[in-house]
Amino acid sequence: MSIPILAVGLTIAGALAGAEPIEIHLAYLGDTSSTAYIGAKQGLSEANLQGQFLGQTYTLEATSSDALVAGSDPKPAAVLAALDKAQLSALSSSLPNTPIFNLTATDDSLRAACNTNLFHVIPSHRMKADAVSQWMQKHKDANVSAQAWHRDFKKYAARELNNRFRKANGIPMDDDAWAGWAAVKMTSDTVAREGRTNPEQLRTYFKEKLRFDGQKGVELSFRNTGQLRQPLLIVEDDKLVGEAPVRGVVDTTDLDSLGLKNCPK
Amino acid sequence: MKYVLSSVAVALLLGGWNVTAEPTYRIFVTNEKDNTVSVIDSQTNKVEETIDVGKRPRGIGLAPDGSELYVAVSEENAIAVIDPRTLEVLRKFEAGSDPETFAVHPNGNIYISNEDDAKATVYDPETGAALVAIPVGLEPEGVAISPDGTRVIVTSESSNMLHVIAVPEHAMVANIVVGARPRSATFTKDSNTVYATSEVTGEVTEVDMTTHQIVNKVSLDGIDKAKPKDILLSKDETTLYVAGGRAAKIIVLDAETLEIKDTIPVGKRVWGLAMSRDGSRVYTTNGVSDTVSVIDTATNKVIETIEVGKAPWGVVIDD
Repeated sequence: MSIPILAVGLTIAGALAGAEPIEIHLAYLGDTSSTAYIGAKQGLSEANLQGQFLGQTYTLEATSSDALVAGSDPKPAAVLAALDKAQLSALSSSLPNTPIFNLTATDDSLRAACNTNLFHVIPSHRMKADAVSQWMQKHKDANVSAQAWHRDFKKYAARELNNRFRKANGIPMDDDAWAGWAAVKMTSDTVAREGRTNPEQLRTYFKEKLRFDGQKGVELSFRNTGQLRQPLLIVEDDKLVGEAPVRGVVDTTDLDSLGLKNCPK
Repeated sequence: MKYVLSSVAVALLLGGWNVTAEPTYRIFVTNEKDNTVSVIDSQTNKVEETIDVGKRPRGIGLAPDGSELYVAVSEENAIAVIDPRTLEVLRKFEAGSDPETFAVHPNGNIYISNEDDAKATVYDPETGAALVAIPVGLEPEGVAISPDGTRVIVTSESSNMLHVIAVPEHAMVANIVVGARPRSATFTKDSNTVYATSEVTGEVTEVDMTTHQIVNKVSLDGIDKAKPKDILLSKDETTLYVAGGRAAKIIVLDAETLEIKDTIPVGKRVWGLAMSRDGSRVYTTNGVSDTVSVIDTATNKVIETIEVGKAPWGVVIDD
């Protein structure tokens, strides 16, 4: 039962909205065969889908730390990094006013360092450990781990995101892919809402005002440590079995029950 | 045969589509998880019948003349057409991938959001023909049609926008960025104002439709677990009723100031809302409690809780 579409209404209204066209450049540092990069590319495609209605165009360029620090043209509004702890720390000092998204490094010491331009989208090691420990209070014999994302996550709008990621890329979305996607989406959401494209303005906005829909059902925001507050998924034998904060153990809305809450005094 | 001919003649004289059927005074509720529609007598608030409609029924709406009831059966990628009098499923037509929410235009066409395809599609329910497809943002969800029929709003949940589409041109006239995960919208009678809910940021936004600017916004953060979904305006247009989702409450707002005036405890995961024609009753679907609450709008109290099928989703009243 296939019915032909008789007409296709296609008016992209960036110009109608009266907005000046905006171009937003993002830089990517790290392995371009990684799922973090594939996730970022997914985010880019979605940012451009959204942007076509608002006169906003996004680009993502894979580059090197050296090239960025030497001063690239155009200057990126934000940097997405799939780097290790030492590389991230060095980059943070070299580009003090540019927001840098950490997509893959789980080191707790990076959070405790409280760099003002590092935004840890991926959950820290301790966040995962806290999630597991909450779960163990209810299920003593469970042998579980905690993740940022899972390919079978369906609740809220996770099913839609998993479906379109798999359709576009032929692989399931994993933690790093989610982090890459989320970093681009929080940038494009902010540009769409605030019209801000200046790196320093974006950095301040992420730090102080961001309320992000990461398709995990609740709004996400950054702690002063730079860590993204987020629910985690409990996984046993590769199967999704629950969510943290764990119901019945802590208040399920208390995202700060996972990981380092504040910068050390 | 004679009767049929004279009916057609009368319909033609009156302009055909303007003939309004005598209402059934029934409330229709889609039950997402048991593939049924519950039929409630609005005079007695009793379930009088349960219709097997198809897999995962969600969005529900009535033809402008009340002659047909439409139900999106999501997992069949179809819309089912039901006779609200005989309660027979008359036919089904293909409605794109995973149809969920739709609205019926005064001209009888159905505007539906295709969540997985980033588009909205216009269907003629008589023939099942797809008339127009309109590209919108990611995860289109809520559909609202202005009373004057000149504007359709589609909310895109992942792109955080209200897309304003002109009818009959089907041209996009504005894209309004609102709080995260906009789910539902409603117009004032003069079509000049829209109120929209944002589920993840827990907000209600008021938009001036003559300028397409946001003129007011309220946060529902003060209400524990408020994740707003459906929104309705009272008949005198002074009050908004917002389904609070996980808050298990209806949130009552002053339509002019957007101040919270009251909260009404209902069942768990309240999403769907419908109002009686005279404005005296609001009906809510409580998805986790498997109930429908009946609210008296004079007192803002629940006067009846009706057990329906599993995971009630959408509700309409034919009155």
